[in-house]
Amino acid sequence: MTSSPTPPPLLAVEALESAYGAVQVLWGVSFNVPHGQIVTIIGSNGAGKTTTLNTIIGVMKLRGGRILFKGEDIGTLPPHERVKRHISLVPEGRHLWPRMSAEDNLLMGAYQPSLRRDARRNLTRVYDLFPRLKERRSQLAGTLSGGEQQMCALGRGLMAEPELLMLDEPSLGLAPKLVDEIFAHVEQICKQGVTILLVAQNVSYALQMSETAYLMETGRITLSGPSRSLATNKYVVEAYIGKA
Amino acid sequence: MTLVDFANLLVAAVLLAGIYAVMSVGMTVIYGVMKIVNLAHAGFMMLGAYFAMELFERLHLDPIVAALAVFPIMAIVGIAVYYLLVRWLPQSDKPTLPSLLLMFGLWLVLQNLGYVIWGNEDRSIFTPRTFDVIHAGPIILPTIRVYVFAAGAGCVLLLEALLNWTWFGRALRALVQNRYAGQIVGVDDQKIASLTFGLGIGFAGLAGALLASLYSFNPDFGRPFLIRAFVIIVLGGLESVSGVAIGALVLALVESFAIIWLPAGYQLAVSFGLLVVVLIVLPGGIASLIGRVRRLA
Ligand SMILES: Nc1ncnc2c1ncn2[C@@H]1O[C@H](COP(=O)(O)OP(=O)(O)O)[C@@H](O)[C@H]1O
Ligand SMILES: [Mg+2]
Repeated sequence: MTSSPTPPPLLAVEALESAYGAVQVLWGVSFNVPHGQIVTIIGSNGAGKTTTLNTIIGVMKLRGGRILFKGEDIGTLPPHERVKRHISLVPEGRHLWPRMSAEDNLLMGAYQPSLRRDARRNLTRVYDLFPRLKERRSQLAGTLSGGEQQMCALGRGLMAEPELLMLDEPSLGLAPKLVDEIFAHVEQICKQGVTILLVAQNVSYALQMSETAYLMETGRITLSGPSRSLATNKYVVEAYIGKA
Repeated sequence: MTLVDFANLLVAAVLLAGIYAVMSVGMTVIYGVMKIVNLAHAGFMMLGAYFAMELFERLHLDPIVAALAVFPIMAIVGIAVYYLLVRWLPQSDKPTLPSLLLMFGLWLVLQNLGYVIWGNEDRSIFTPRTFDVIHAGPIILPTIRVYVFAAGAGCVLLLEALLNWTWFGRALRALVQNRYAGQIVGVDDQKIASLTFGLGIGFAGLAGALLASLYSFNPDFGRPFLIRAFVIIVLGGLESVSGVAIGALVLALVESFAIIWLPAGYQLAVSFGLLVVVLIVLPGGIASLIGRVRRLA
């Protein structure tokens, strides 16, 4: 671990602590996301996964610890400074603007002044990836189907030209066929060189797709390793896969 | 009532609706982004009226030009007030007691400032044009009202364009509809809020300045218009400029035609009555009515 020649990870989270008012939720969370990988955090409802992602994007203030992105401590920067560094979050529950058109929703993903110049080109790329969104571009986002809304949220995340794309429960509430479709898109996005941090309650899917996995329980990382080994870990199978 | 009377009332109502829309959009954008009910709105309208008077008397600007010049001045005042006072308020998705108290207190302060600077006598802006009329066939249009309408409606249309076609406008609407989503795409919500506050106060000042060329005013100016702005916002909803425009038109029509049956002094009672009726019968405003009709169809 000392001075190995391996490059530093794209994202290194060290001893992260976060709290809602007086209620502390994260208790020293540490993990790494190497360049070009899909890394997943699994865990049951309320474990603190969403809080972790919100702290990384900066909407939640961190109470302690460090967030290193390409070696720079971004833990105290406001969210727009982090977006500017090409970190992008596709939030749980999508959080689209329901009374804005699908296209305006996508364009807002390129809100940062440094991204606006290429917004139209990136819009074309998103439409190539999700032709359905192109058909529905002028429709209000609130009137899109669940699958289309998820694609719109994913597309908005891509408009920021992310180096790190964080996906929070991208398959929640979708029909099985759509789940396949969304995850296929995620793999395709990763192949294009985007590093992905994936949070999913669909544990078996998340472990299949990713190279490295972390298990989070009540605000702590309790298990980590290659996803293949977590997928066969007796405790993980009993507590998380069996019941799913 | 003859057809000509009817047409005259109708035209008067539309002209009135223009100025009502100007005075309501300012409250709407501020509420939308910050969930602050700007009780000091009337105070800023009053300041706008006096600023227009000063520009007219000292620099001899045309009253309409003066009113347009008041907009950027009041916008800067608004941004200053935001950074001095408003940004310290607790953030919330709903109106909070501290925000109501702050804005109410600010109104009182502004009023007293008005008394100190300009005294308590009624003032007005008169030009040789003030009593001109245009005859359009049998319909009689007071010239100044036409100009006020054109200036006001033009500014409201510009606002609509700003909201729909600019990055600032998209960011503003984004914060209105989902603040969290705005933050995660990197909207600097403090900055947008300050600009929105400036925009809202700019419109308050513009409304006051435009009204100043129609009515006389004193430091208590604006109070009856605050109630009207509430009625319009309840009618038209807090989301869109077009909603405000429709609400303004409905109120102006009701007020204009109520004159047939009620003495003019009851105008404010009419708007207040409309407020109560709408709150009871149609709490979701006109949008909910349209929704209900659609569902029936
Ligand atoms: N806005 C909030 N206010 C207070 N507590 C919250 C809030 N959001 C989440 N929590 C609490 O924080 C803990 C972690 O939640 P969350 O990060 O959403 O978990 P996960 O995404 O793993 O399901 C839960 O106990 C939850 O009740
Ligand atoms: Mg969650």
